[in-house]
Amino acid sequence: MIQRKVWIIALLCTFLLPGVLPYLTPYESNPALIEPARAQAAWVCLWVVTAAWLFFQAARFGDDASRSGLGAYFLSSGVSGLSQMMQIWLACLTFLLPLVAITLGVCFVGAMPSDAGQAQMWVATNLQYAALFLLVVTPLMMVAVSIGSRFGSTIGYLIPLCMSIYGMYGVGYLAMMTEVQSNLLLDWLYVVSPHYHLADLTPRLVFKQGSMLSSEFLQLVVYFAGIKIVLAMFASLTFQPRAAT
Amino acid sequence: MNSPSAKPRIHLASGLSIGYGESLARIDSDGGGIVLEGGTHYLLARNGRGKTTLLKTLAGVLRPLDGGYECEGRCQYLSEDLCFDRELPAKAIFKSLLKKSRCKDALELAETIELDVEKPYGKLSTGNKRKVALLVAEFSVSDQSLDVLLLDEPFTGLDAFSREAFQERWSQCQDGVLRLVSCHPDFDSMEVGSSVLISDGVIKHIPGGGSDEKAQSWGELKPQLN
Repeated sequence: MIQRKVWIIALLCTFLLPGVLPYLTPYESNPALIEPARAQAAWVCLWVVTAAWLFFQAARFGDDASRSGLGAYFLSSGVSGLSQMMQIWLACLTFLLPLVAITLGVCFVGAMPSDAGQAQMWVATNLQYAALFLLVVTPLMMVAVSIGSRFGSTIGYLIPLCMSIYGMYGVGYLAMMTEVQSNLLLDWLYVVSPHYHLADLTPRLVFKQGSMLSSEFLQLVVYFAGIKIVLAMFASLTFQPRAAT
Repeated sequence: MNSPSAKPRIHLASGLSIGYGESLARIDSDGGGIVLEGGTHYLLARNGRGKTTLLKTLAGVLRPLDGGYECEGRCQYLSEDLCFDRELPAKAIFKSLLKKSRCKDALELAETIELDVEKPYGKLSTGNKRKVALLVAEFSVSDQSLDVLLLDEPFTGLDAFSREAFQERWSQCQDGVLRLVSCHPDFDSMEVGSSVLISDGVIKHIPGGGSDEKAQSWGELKPQLN
């Protein structure tokens, strides 16, 4: 990990860009907006770094495990495919968790409201956001590992990337379509689609809408945990520790 | 810990058939199959006859087409194309995969066979990359378990000096490890000892190399391969 330099770029993106980007806006008109803008930049950078770099790393690790012969080596010595996939996935989390911690650090240190009540709400919202973000991203990383091991790093990267973009933005367009025309297939597709946009709490931070109600937050946790279970099952079936013969 | 008399063992039952979809090689049904016990056994066959397929089957990476086998011991399958992270030096690979005490032994042997353990794996030559994989396998064996090493063409790209160093180690080691080594010997006088041959789609065992048996040379075995 030390030898590969891309992690430095990822680290700088999550650490420095939230400090720099808000000053590229016409902030002079309302300096009070700098802090929410910083929080927004921090979370957006984290989403981008995860989608652009971590998903690819996960897919590449999966690809490497099967292609290098190490997957077959560990399989022969009694390490099951599922165990190998979990270990690779956990290795990916060692990259992800510090980035989430940095993002929270930027929000807590660089964008904390001065009012005590607001500050408490700010902390709660950010922690909720971090929990939902991890619930969305970690199963997608598992999918990247498993598909990467079976179909190669490119496909392993593109599938979770497309799923996350679809879940964040595509579902919104689908909702508009279902409102315009009544179509059973579209309605069904909307229901089964992963609604990852629900995990994006950036507007709550930017507009200081406060944290989610516990019941509302728990509903989302259960929903994303359900998706996580489905994706984890899919990933464990798809993972292939040995190269295709 | 296993009792001193316990030995790793491979039993290829009669009727075992291996391959991808269609049978590549099999064990004759009229016999008791093949039993291999601790020590070094060479797996010899011409290209494409099923050496790698047999090793993968024994490692549990591939399913046999028919029949069965038993592998008693902790298997390790070293494929011909096994490679490690390009950025890591051999020393880091040993540290991450071997126990501390074994790592020291591996580094000593690495020095003997002139492997630069500080150089990133990706910058090593083909032969030196093979040395890393072989050292990992050699020093992963545990005193507490019965070990079966399935080595697929481990000598490819290795210089004669290093190959002899490994062969000498195997002949001197009384660790009871079962090594099944697929290879293409490159000189007729090479003593092969116990060997498993795949010829005309049939897997057979030619014992040899025991205390009361004369080891055969590659030159004597070669005509039996087709």
